[in-house]
Amino acid sequence: MSTSASSSKPTEENPKVIEQQKPTEDSQHLGVLEEDDEFEEFPVADWDDSQTDLAHLAGTAPGAAKSGGDKLWEDNWDDDDIEDEFSVQLRNELAKTNKGSSGTAMEH
Amino acid sequence: MPMDFPTFTTQLNDALLAENGPNLAYLLRPTSPHGKDLVKEFRNPTRISLSRYEGSMQSPWDEIAIQYVLTCTHIAKRRPGEAFKEQSQLVSLFYRFFTENRGWTLPALFSILRDLRDLAFDADTHAKYNGQKSESMEEAARILVKAFGNCMTDRTSPPDQSRKWGVYYVVGLVLKSYFRVKRISLSKNVLRALDANTDMPPLSTYPRSHQVTYRYYLGMLSFLNEEYSKAEQELTLAFYHCHIDSHSNQERILIYLLPLRILKGHLPSPELMNRFPLLQNLFTPFISAIRVGDVAAYDRALELSERRLVELNLYLTLEKARELCLRGLFRRVWVATDKGTRIPISMFHSSLIISGIDVSQEEAECLVANMIYKGLMRGYISHEKQMVVLASNNAFPRLSDRQAPFALM
Repeated sequence: MSTSASSSKPTEENPKVIEQQKPTEDSQHLGVLEEDDEFEEFPVADWDDSQTDLAHLAGTAPGAAKSGGDKLWEDNWDDDDIEDEFSVQLRNELAKTNKGSSGTAMEH
Repeated sequence: MPMDFPTFTTQLNDALLAENGPNLAYLLRPTSPHGKDLVKEFRNPTRISLSRYEGSMQSPWDEIAIQYVLTCTHIAKRRPGEAFKEQSQLVSLFYRFFTENRGWTLPALFSILRDLRDLAFDADTHAKYNGQKSESMEEAARILVKAFGNCMTDRTSPPDQSRKWGVYYVVGLVLKSYFRVKRISLSKNVLRALDANTDMPPLSTYPRSHQVTYRYYLGMLSFLNEEYSKAEQELTLAFYHCHIDSHSNQERILIYLLPLRILKGHLPSPELMNRFPLLQNLFTPFISAIRVGDVAAYDRALELSERRLVELNLYLTLEKARELCLRGLFRRVWVATDKGTRIPISMFHSSLIISGIDVSQEEAECLVANMIYKGLMRGYISHEKQMVVLASNNAFPRLSDRQAPFALM
């Protein structure tokens, strides 16, 4: 925080002055997420949809995920075709299990 | 030309007559240029030396003007503790006027309360630095709660000019102060009073800055009380209504919103993560591990970020999200069996062992049972045959399809 009441930010007027004050306030914990950080005063009191993340939703519900029209979230990442070392090991293990139980337990 | 005291009172008077709230706010702000002028004019003013100005304006404005000079003087002389005390007096005097007037006064109220809180912050910081005890922020919170009451109890002003339009902004300041002094349990009283008041305008009709700040703190409180469903709801709204240029506020909302949405089965898209590099650093290891069901990588990420996550109160939540990763692993077993409906428990056990998770077959069985209980897998276990029998249809439901994703945590 800066000294005295100079960290006060007017809600409506003088947004330029505020922009100049900001850097000194932020420099103390630049680049680090701090538990102690505070939610900052907004430099203006009100704004419309075009200045928010609602803008890209085109009327769909916020946070609905891609399938619901919100490209900021994904709700379907299940992938049946991952090929890596783990897949190979897993299939080898499966082959062993199948041999051991001579196919009676498994459908495949 | 520097402003002298009589000019200052004249301008105050003009603002009052014109009911000009923003101008009144400007005149009462210690950082305004005339603050310095008045400090120079009086050198070392005291309440006694300034008492000759009592009666120079309608009460309580003569005293408010005097308080203003005293506050500015202490700020100029770097005495934040004293400055805070004088500003407290100023605020109390202002309440006398405020409760007799309508909503046009709100810009001035907001401004002097913001200054009060900032001065409390400086006073406590200054005292701490000098090894002294100071409870200015607690005191500020008490004064702020009075303002909340004064806004809430407006029963005479016409709706569009009501002091009620100040309620959510003031509550935001109150909650911010409680968080600062780590007395968040006190928030309940204010929120209860707010709930009990039935003739308030809907929150969505307030300025967005008020809505977003209020929802952020409400979401945080719900998160800390482990009311995840409500927390997710409030923080989602806070995020989507936040100004996109207020990057650090959006970031703060997302710190808590991201884990909640992950638990719900919604992973942040690369597009979202690219906008917040700090969050990307913190959360990407977890998200990548969930995507491929790599439980060992998930555990490493938990271990690596443990301190960070504990500080941010996030550790528990991400520990809970581990089961999503486990679901991913078991799903891969299912895929490897060409989506069979009968899979020996030993296969799930092997998948854990290959992943580097050293558990017994009994523990593996228990993990599968837990998955089924939580609805992350559909089927049943034949304990005698050591076999998992999975539903032929939708054996691994999509995570986001769960009706109450936070219920079984």
